[in-house]
Amino acid sequence: MNTVTLTDGILRVEPRGLDNPWSFTRRLEIPLAHVRGATFDPGANAEPKGFRRPGLHLPGKWAGTFSRGGALSFWNVSTPGRTVVVELTGERYQRLFLSVAEPRPLVDAINAAVPR
Amino acid sequence: MGRTPTFDRTEVVRAAAAAFLDTGYEGTSVDDLVRCTGLHRGSLYQAFGSKRGLFVTALRELDHPPTPAALDLLLVATLELAPRDDEVRGLVADVLARFDDPATVLGGRLLARAHLEKGPQ
Repeated sequence: MNTVTLTDGILRVEPRGLDNPWSFTRRLEIPLAHVRGATFDPGANAEPKGFRRPGLHLPGKWAGTFSRGGALSFWNVSTPGRTVVVELTGERYQRLFLSVAEPRPLVDAINAAVPR
Repeated sequence: MGRTPTFDRTEVVRAAAAAFLDTGYEGTSVDDLVRCTGLHRGSLYQAFGSKRGLFVTALRELDHPPTPAALDLLLVATLELAPRDDEVRGLVADVLARFDDPATVLGGRLLARAHLEKGPQ
């Protein structure tokens, strides 16, 4: 699970609890100008993830950095049905896959906050 | 990063619009969009940014004058996204501004779609 907040033009992602050491990432901070959009996408958990960089894969759980088709993505998903995908530009990661407590309100909040 | 898109963008947007007007915005999953467009999930995200981005693209490219399908997409936008999305509300308002009587156009299409339209009196 992840805590995702929007303040001062920054999207902050904090992997929570045990997810944290497994994903080797304490916090991601992305300027909203680098966020293209967010999508509630529970089906993403079944996607091929590519090669695992530092990170973890257990049945039903992926945490860390994965590389596929020349692009890096950050995964911290464990709860089926609660995955949000955030598409980025100009960042180390092209895409974030995050389990969150309340996917739909978060998706709306991110999409409303992205500068257009 | 990533590969250059080689798909037919117009066809992808058309297929996505057909899915949205068939099952609604929330009712259409990314899995549905992957299936109906034939694109990989990553390519969809790379090209449009989000499911919302794909929907907004379809909305921006509505036929004018609107076909029944275009009006159905407008109904989906009005019902599902416009109440909570400023940009979509603005796009819907722009299209409606082209009609003398938008309430009659949208209301008429809503009834026709539900097979509730009254015939000539």
